[in-house]
Amino acid sequence: MTGFTIMIAVGLLLLAPLTAGWLSLFIKSSRWLHVTNLISIGTLVGAEAVIGRAVFLQGSVTAFADIVYIDALSSVILFIIGTVGLACSLYMRSYMDEQVARGMIAPNRLSLFFFLFHMFLLAMVLATVANSLGVQWVAIEATTLATTFLIAFWRRRESLEAGWKYLILCSVGISLALFGVVLMYYSSLRVLGDVSSALNITQLQQVAARLDPHILKLAFVFLFVGYGTKVGLVPMHSWLPDAYTEAPAPVAAMLAGVLETVAVYAILRCRGIADQALSPDFTGGLLALFGLISFALAAFFILLQHNYKRLFAYSSIEHMGLAMVGFGVGGPLGTFGGLFHLVNHAFAKSLAFFAAGNIHRRFKTVEIDQVRGLTTVLPWSALALLISGLALTALPPFALFTSEMQIITALGSSGLPGEWTQPGTRTPVVILLLCSVVAFAGFLYRITGMVWGPAPEDIVHGEQWSIGHIPIILLGAMLVGFCMTLPASFRQFVEMASTLLLSR
Amino acid sequence: MSWLSPHIATQIVDFSSAMLLLTCFAIVAQRRLSACVDLFALQSLFLAMTAALVAFFTGTRHIYIAAALTVVVKVIVIPRVLKGVIERLNVTRELVMRINIPASLLICGALVMIAFFITQPIIPFGHLLTRDSLAIALAIVLIGFFTMISRQKAVTQLIAFLVMENGLFLGATAATYGMPLIVELGVFFDVLVAALIAGIYTNRLQDAFDSVDTTHLTELKE
Repeated sequence: MTGFTIMIAVGLLLLAPLTAGWLSLFIKSSRWLHVTNLISIGTLVGAEAVIGRAVFLQGSVTAFADIVYIDALSSVILFIIGTVGLACSLYMRSYMDEQVARGMIAPNRLSLFFFLFHMFLLAMVLATVANSLGVQWVAIEATTLATTFLIAFWRRRESLEAGWKYLILCSVGISLALFGVVLMYYSSLRVLGDVSSALNITQLQQVAARLDPHILKLAFVFLFVGYGTKVGLVPMHSWLPDAYTEAPAPVAAMLAGVLETVAVYAILRCRGIADQALSPDFTGGLLALFGLISFALAAFFILLQHNYKRLFAYSSIEHMGLAMVGFGVGGPLGTFGGLFHLVNHAFAKSLAFFAAGNIHRRFKTVEIDQVRGLTTVLPWSALALLISGLALTALPPFALFTSEMQIITALGSSGLPGEWTQPGTRTPVVILLLCSVVAFAGFLYRITGMVWGPAPEDIVHGEQWSIGHIPIILLGAMLVGFCMTLPASFRQFVEMASTLLLSR
Repeated sequence: MSWLSPHIATQIVDFSSAMLLLTCFAIVAQRRLSACVDLFALQSLFLAMTAALVAFFTGTRHIYIAAALTVVVKVIVIPRVLKGVIERLNVTRELVMRINIPASLLICGALVMIAFFITQPIIPFGHLLTRDSLAIALAIVLIGFFTMISRQKAVTQLIAFLVMENGLFLGATAATYGMPLIVELGVFFDVLVAALIAGIYTNRLQDAFDSVDTTHLTELKE
C-alpha cells in the first residue's frame, strides 16, 4: 500500500466529519442532513478500513510529516468510533425525526445538532490519530466543549444542570491532565533538548527509557486523574450518571461507547511511555486499584437504581473499571481481555441506549417501575433491552462474558500489581466475582420487570419497522457472534494492539 | 542578555510569577464579582509579562506569540464577556460561601506549601532560569481547583477555572519555555471556547432557574 493512498485515507478521516459538520449548518431539510451524515460516516468507515489494512501489513503508519501516528492500538479505537458512529447515524434517522415531528426540537436546531455531532466525532478521531500528546489533550478537551450542548439539548432544567456539571467537572479534570502533559514535556526536553517534536509519541517512545522517573511518576498521576475523570472512574464519576440520563439517546450511546474508550486510549498511550522508565507495577497498580474500586461501587449503585438510563450509566462505570483492571494486571491475557472488553462494551452499551431511547419515546418516563410489558408494547426494543442487559451482566452467549472471563483469569493468576497485595492473594478476585454477582442480580431484577408483565392500557402497542432497527439487529448479532467465533483477522488485530501495550 | 547575570534574570521572572500567586489570593479574598473579573485580568497581565520576560531572556521567539494571545484573550476578550454576563444577570456579590474568607485563605496557604512539597524533588532537575516557577504554577492550579469547589456562583466557578488555566500556562512556560506552538494555539482556542460556552450557559441557567447560584442545581438526585 503506497504512502499516498494512506495519506488520502487519513485526510478523509479528518475531512469527512469537518466538512459534513459545516455543511450541516447550511442544510435546512432533515432528509439531506441525514444523507450528509451517512455519507460522512460512510467515508470515515471506508478510510478506517484502508488504514486498518495498512496498519495490519506494516505495523504502524505515520502521515503528514509525523503529525499523524496510527498503530494497531489506535486502529482498534478507530474501529470502535466507526462502528458505533455508523450505528448511531442509522438510529438517528428515526429517532431525531420523531423528536422533530413531536415538536421537541425546532427543525432549525436539527442543523445545530448535526454540526455538534460531527465536531464531536472529529475531536475523537483527532484524539485517536494525533501523534502529539499535546494535540491529543486539545482534542479531548474539544470533545467536552462539543458535547456540553449535546447533553443539554432538550434544554430542560435537568439537562442544563447535567450539562453544567459535565462542563465544569470535565474541564477541571482535563486541566489536571494538561499539567501532566506539561510535566511530560519537561522531562522529555531534558533528554531531547529544545525541539518542537518533544511531545510526539513516536519521539517519546524512543527516549522513554531515559526519561526521569520522578517527573514521569508525577506526570502520570496527573494524567490518570485528568483522563480518568473523562472515563468516569470512581471518585471522579459524579457527572456521568446525570449526563447519560439527560443526553438524547444517540448522544448517550456515543458518550458511553466511544468517548470513554477514547479517554482510556489516552491513558494507555501515556502509560506506554511511563512504563518504560518506571516499574510497570506503579502504573498498573494505579489502574487496577481505581478500576477495582469503580467496579465494586458501581455494582452496588446498580442495585439501587430506579431509572433505567442511570442503570446503564452506572454499568458504564462498572465496565470501564473492569477494563482498567485488565490493563492494570497486564500480561497478554489481561491486556487482550481489556481491549476486547472495550470493543464489546461499546457495542452492548450503544445497543442498550438505543433500546432505552425507544422506550423513553413511547413511555415518556425514565422510571423503571412505570415501564411494564415491553414484549407487547415494543417487541423489538424489548429484545434489544434483554440482549444488551444480559450482555452487560456478562452472561455466556454474549461477547462480554469472554472478555470478563479473560480479565478475571488474568487477575486470578497474577493478582493485583503494585505494593498493595502480595502475588497470589485471592481477595481481589473474590471481590470482583462477588460484585459482578451483585450487578447481575440488580440488572436482571430491573430488566425482567420492564420486559414482562402486563402492559399499561393507555399506551400504543406494537412497533413499526424503521431504519433504526438495523443497527439494533447488527449490534445484537455481533455481541453473540463475537462470543461464538472471533474472526481470525480481528483477533490478530487486537493481539497486535495488546503486544504494543506489553512491549517495554 | 549578556549585560544581565542569569541570577538576576531568574529573580525577575520569579518575582513576576509570584505576583500571579498574589493575585490568586486576592481573588480568593474578594466577594465582589466584578472585582474578581478585574483581578483575573490583572493576573493574566502578569502572566503575559512573565511569558514575555522568559521570551526576552531566553530568546525563544514563539513565547511572544503566546504572551500576545494571553493579552488579547484573557486580558481583553474574556473579562469583557464576563462583565457582560454579570451585568445582564445582575449578580454583583458572592453572598454565601461554603467556606468563609479567612479559612479559605488559610487553606490556600496550605495548598501553596503542598505545591512546593510536591515539586521539590523534581525542581533541581531543571536547568532553566524559570524552574522555581513550577511550584508557583502548581500552587495556582490547586488554588483554582479549591476556589471552584468552595464557591457557588457559576461566574465565580468560571473565574476559578480560568485561574487554573493561568496556572497551567505558567507551568508550561516555566518548566519548558512553552509548549510547541500548535499545542499552545490549541489550548488557547479551547480556553476561549470554554469561557464563551460557560458564558452562554450561565445565561441559560439564569433563564431556567432564575439564579446562577449552583446550589439550586439539585434536581438530579440519586
